[in-house]
Amino acid sequence: MLGVYDFCGHYEWTFEWLRQTGGEALVRQYWDEAISQDSQRHAAELILSKGIPGMIEYWGHTLEDEAAGYYCTTSDAVYRIDMHECPSKGFLIRNALQQYHDYCDHCLGWIGPLLRRAGFVVDHQHNHASRCWWEIRRADDPTPPSEPGGLAGEHDVRLLPDWDQTDKMDTYRRANDPDDKLP
Amino acid sequence: MSTEPSPLPYRDTKPVGAADFYFAINATFRFLLQRFGVDGLRRYWTDLGTQYYAPVAAAWKQGGLPAIAAYWRAFFAAEPGAEVQVREDDKTVVVEVAVCPAFKHLRAHQREIVPCFCQQCYFLNEAVATPAGFTVRVAGGNGSCRQTFLARDDATPPQDFSEIREATC
Repeated sequence: MLGVYDFCGHYEWTFEWLRQTGGEALVRQYWDEAISQDSQRHAAELILSKGIPGMIEYWGHTLEDEAAGYYCTTSDAVYRIDMHECPSKGFLIRNALQQYHDYCDHCLGWIGPLLRRAGFVVDHQHNHASRCWWEIRRADDPTPPSEPGGLAGEHDVRLLPDWDQTDKMDTYRRANDPDDKLP
Repeated sequence: MSTEPSPLPYRDTKPVGAADFYFAINATFRFLLQRFGVDGLRRYWTDLGTQYYAPVAAAWKQGGLPAIAAYWRAFFAAEPGAEVQVREDDKTVVVEVAVCPAFKHLRAHQREIVPCFCQQCYFLNEAVATPAGFTVRVAGGNGSCRQTFLARDDATPPQDFSEIREATC
C-alpha cells in the first residue's frame, strides 16, 4: 500500500506521471481538484469561513504534524509564514528524489486557488532549498510585501545567510497560481 | 534521519508519517479514477510500483522472503495507527492487517473512500514483487486484510478480485 511515511516521495513522483500523461494542465487540475478541493477540504472549510484566524488554525496544526521548522507572524491584515526547514522538500533532497521539474510549485498549486476562492492573494518566494516565505493578504489590500525583517523580525527567512540562492529563487507577487511566477 | 540500515528505501527524520496524508492518497485515487477509469488507476499503481519502488524490488530480489518480511515490519511501524502482524516461513510471508491505518484515519474524519481503494495493495505490491521473482495475493479489505507473498510459479492461481472487498465509508 501507499504509506504516509514517504508520502512526499510518491506525491512528487505522481506530478511527473501526470505531466507525462496529460501535460502541465493535468498537474494544475490535480493540485486544485484533488488536493485543494478534496484532500485539503478541512483547510478550505477553515479559511473560507474564518479568513486569517482559519489560516492560523490550519497551518498551526498541519506544520506541527509534519515536524516543520517554521515561524508564523499574524495580524488582522496579514498572515506570514517563514519556512526555515520545509519537511517535504527536505525529505526529497535528503533522499535524492526528483522526477518533476519544480516540486515547490505544488504549494501555490493547491493553496493559490483556495485563497482565490477565499478572497486572498499571496506574496511568496521559495529558494528550492527547503526555505520559503509567504505573506497572505486580502485581495483588496494593496500593501506590498514587507522588507526583510519588517514583519517577522529575526525569524525572517530572508535574513539567513544562505537564503539568496538567486539562480534558484522563484518569486510571486499578489499571486494565486503557480504559473504567476515572475520572470 | 537515522543512518542505521533500514529496509525502507526512503527515510525521514520523524519516525512515523503524518496521518492527514491519507487524505491526499485517497483524493489522488479519486482524481485518477474520474479522469482515466479503473484501468488508468491500475496503470498508475503499476507504474508507481515498478518505478518509484524499484529499490524495494531490488532488495526483495537480493534478500528473498526475509527481506520482504523485514520491509513490511518497518513499513507498518512507520504508519500511524497500523495494527499489523507479519509472519514468515520458508515459502511465504503473510502480512495480516488487523487495522489498516488509512481506513482508520479516513473513517475517523468522515472521508468518502474510493471503492476500489484496496486494489492498490494488489497492483502496487505485484509490481514490486514481480521483478524480484515473487507474487502477492490479497484477501479481504475494507479495513483489514491478508496479503500473502510467495515465489512466482505457474501453479499459483491468479489473483481473484472477488477476494478483495470494496471500501465502504
